[in-house]
This record gives sequence, C-alpha cells and structure tokens, in this order.
Amino acid sequence: MPDFKRLLIIVLTLVVVTAVAAGLLAVANMLTAPAITRQQEEEYRAALKEYFPQVADFKTETLEEDAFDLVYDAAGELLGVMVTTAVQGYDGPISYNLAVDKEGKILAIRIVEHSETRGVGDVIEKPQFQGQFIGKSYLDPLQPGEDVDTISGATISSSAMIDSIRRVLAVVAENFLRLEKEEPFDITAVPDGTYLGSGEGRSGDIVVEVTVAGGKITVIEIVEHGDTPAYMADAAAIIPPQIIDQQTLDVDTKTGATESSEGLVEAVLDALTRALNPEEGGESDEE
Amino acid sequence: MKNSYLADITRGIFQENPTFRLVLGMCPTLAVTVLLKNGLGMGLAVVAVLTCSNLVISSLRRFIPEQVRIPCYIVIIATFVTIVEMVLQAFVPTLYAALGVFVPLIVVNCIILGRAEAFAGKQPVLRSLCDGIGSGLGFTLGLLLLSLVREIFGNGTILAETNYAVQLFGLNFEPMRLFAQPAGAFIALGLLLALTNMIFKRLQID
Repeated sequence: MPDFKRLLIIVLTLVVVTAVAAGLLAVANMLTAPAITRQQEEEYRAALKEYFPQVADFKTETLEEDAFDLVYDAAGELLGVMVTTAVQGYDGPISYNLAVDKEGKILAIRIVEHSETRGVGDVIEKPQFQGQFIGKSYLDPLQPGEDVDTISGATISSSAMIDSIRRVLAVVAENFLRLEKEEPFDITAVPDGTYLGSGEGRSGDIVVEVTVAGGKITVIEIVEHGDTPAYMADAAAIIPPQIIDQQTLDVDTKTGATESSEGLVEAVLDALTRALNPEEGGESDEE
Repeated sequence: MKNSYLADITRGIFQENPTFRLVLGMCPTLAVTVLLKNGLGMGLAVVAVLTCSNLVISSLRRFIPEQVRIPCYIVIIATFVTIVEMVLQAFVPTLYAALGVFVPLIVVNCIILGRAEAFAGKQPVLRSLCDGIGSGLGFTLGLLLLSLVREIFGNGTILAETNYAVQLFGLNFEPMRLFAQPAGAFIALGLLLALTNMIFKRLQID
C-alpha cells in the first residue's frame, strides 16, 4: 500500500504541475493574442504596400477557407489580388500570402507561418524555391518537374506549396480577374463520325466538316465561307494539315490571313464540341 | 545573510559564469551572437526564464517527488519559455524573428535545467532567486562579450539594427564575414575562453 500511495503522489504532482502550467499559458495567450494579431496585420499591410506600391484601397472577399484582398489604386482600378491561404505541409499547416497581378501573374509569395523542419522544409521561405514562381500565371502548368521543381529533401513541403499555389492561382483568375483558361481540347474523347461546325471568319461564318476516326481528326473540309478566296486558300493550306498532323487546336495561324485562320480553328473546335454534346446539335446538324 | 545573497549573484556572473566557466548552453551562445542586439535579447530572455523557474522550482522543492523532478522542472521551464515567447512575439516582433528557433530552445538550455538541479531544487527560495538572476546575468555577459566581438569584426558595427547603431570603420570597410558565421563563432568563443581563463588565473579566483 505505501507503494501505491507513493505512486499516487507522483501522478498527482505531475497532473497538478501540468494543469497549472496549462492554465498559466492560457492566461498568457489571452493577454498577448490581440497584440500578436495586430502585429501580424501591420506586417501584412506592409507587405501589401510592397507588392502593390500604388495600393489605395482593398476589399476583402472570402471563398471557402481562403481570403482574397482585391487591391485597388487611387483611381479605383484593380491592381491585383492578395490571397491568404493555408496548406497542409510536412509538419502542420503552412499559411501564406500569394500576390497576383491583374493579369494573373504571381508577384510574390509570403510565408506567414509554418512549422516545417528548420533547415529542410523551411526552404519554402527562401528565394531558391519562391523565385521559380515569380511571373508564372494560371496559364502555366505549375507541375513539379515540368516548369517548377520541388526541393530534394523537402519534397512534401515543396510539392504541397506547388499544388496549393496552382489551385489558388486558378481560383483567382476565374473568380476575381475574370480570366479563363482554355483547356486543351481532348480530341481522343470525341466518338468517331463526321461533324459540322462553324466559326467567325473575316466576313461571315466559316463552316467546316470534321471527320474523326479512332480518336483522331482525319479530315477537315471547308464547306462554306465568305472570306476573300486568296486569304482562305492561304489559311486552308496551313491550318487543317497542322491540326491533323499534331492533333491539337493550338496551331500557328497564317500571317496575313489571321482572321480566316482563327475562324477555321474556331469552326473545328465548334464541330468537336458539338460532337461531345450532341443534345446541342451534333452529327445531324445540317445547314 | 545579506552577504550570502550577494555572493549567490556574483558567483553566477564570475566564478561560475555559465559561458566562460561552466561552458553550458553553447548552442544558443554560438548561434544567436551575430549581433549585439540578438545577444542582449537572448540573454534577457534567459534571465527572465531562469529567475522565474528557479523561484518556482525552489518553492515547490518539498512537494515534487524525487522520481519525477526532471519532468516537473521541464514543464515549469517550458511554461515560462512559452510565456516569454508570446511576450516577445507580441511586443518585440523584430527580436522574436531574429532569435527564431532559439527562443523555444531555451527549454533545453542546459544552464536552466542545470541550475534547477544543482541549486534551486535544494536551496531556499530567496537564494535560488539570487542564483537565477546571477546565472542569467552571467550568461548575458557571455553573450554580450561574444556578440560584441563578432559584430565588430563580422559586421563592422556596434548595436546594428537598433536606434543606437554605430558604424565603426566607415562605409567602405569590408567586414570579416567569417565572424558572422558559425565557424567564426567558435573561433571568437575560443579566444574569449582563453582570455577569461588567463584573467581568472591572474586574479587567482579559481
């Protein structure tokens, strides 16, 4: 029994000591938290001023968990967006700000708080890592190994940041800058068949007939157009072969016949889009 | 009696100076002493933690069972360190940023646990308080000397990043960057240790 009593005293002492410590910390936290918040807000304002020197005003919007400060200059013109977001890192959340200009390009990354390993994961704070993002936009793939690199030894921290930045950039571009990303069209998803589509040429619509076989565009035929025949001939000589060769709609247009070329691409895209959504027209769509 | 309190303070500063005589707490000593400002901030943070922890540990010394004294000491020390950390973050953010990870690491600073084990756990409250102040000041003195040497040679300034910054050698001076780096910290510490050893021998304090 004395053994039991001694054990009880030991346990109770530890419990009391830790409980009192926890209480003290709660009080200290209560007293210092407002000052810490104020401090962090001031630092945030200073950073905002640094990334957007002409800032005169900003408006905060929230979307899901993230806060978006729309930054305006004195004339009320949108300068860009400063995002406050967080991502799960290797060892707890990494909270950071992303400054994006009005074209959707990254101006700066500012790590607010993280608990990544010192000397390893904290590379996310360093120019070595952050530098590769500056100037990148929602149009860039932002894929590890492609246009941005993870840092070896800190793969989890850095790829978490890359994924989060890519996501946030897309959200900003879509919701606040009204920029849209053109998804590369997935031709392989189109069922076999012949489809009609139209696009806007220099004068009037261009109508094309696109034949798809085995997930590939095999034939592009121009059904009708209102453009100058010489220009259309130039465009027709270069655009369809490129599309068929490379199986992509991201092709070079013909100089001097830009509008006819772009009209042609648009018509092909239209035909393929209809092929994927037959209820809006589709295969039997005859003029 | 009064004499003994005073002796407790001066012993921590001179005869048992944590940096130069006991050579304890070397990690923060070497790491933060790039600038005088950082050394002073770290030193004062340790004085605060050491004084408080000595006080509490000494007053609880009859209640804390022998078997769990170390966990109890660590909890008490960690509590004070966290409070100091919060206060620094709230009111002196630049210092908080400069000291970085070394503030939380005060928890495992061997001077603090060392004084708790060697002194506060056995001695009366007031003497432990004096010992805490003395050892803290001794540590601060060590940090100040080391950071003074390192800042003068490594940065060419005294009290840089404060309102009292002094540029010592003019703007064209190219400082010895080595002293601002870890290797320079070891060299400067070694030289200071040699110097203080010599002084203590001359004065025959040891």
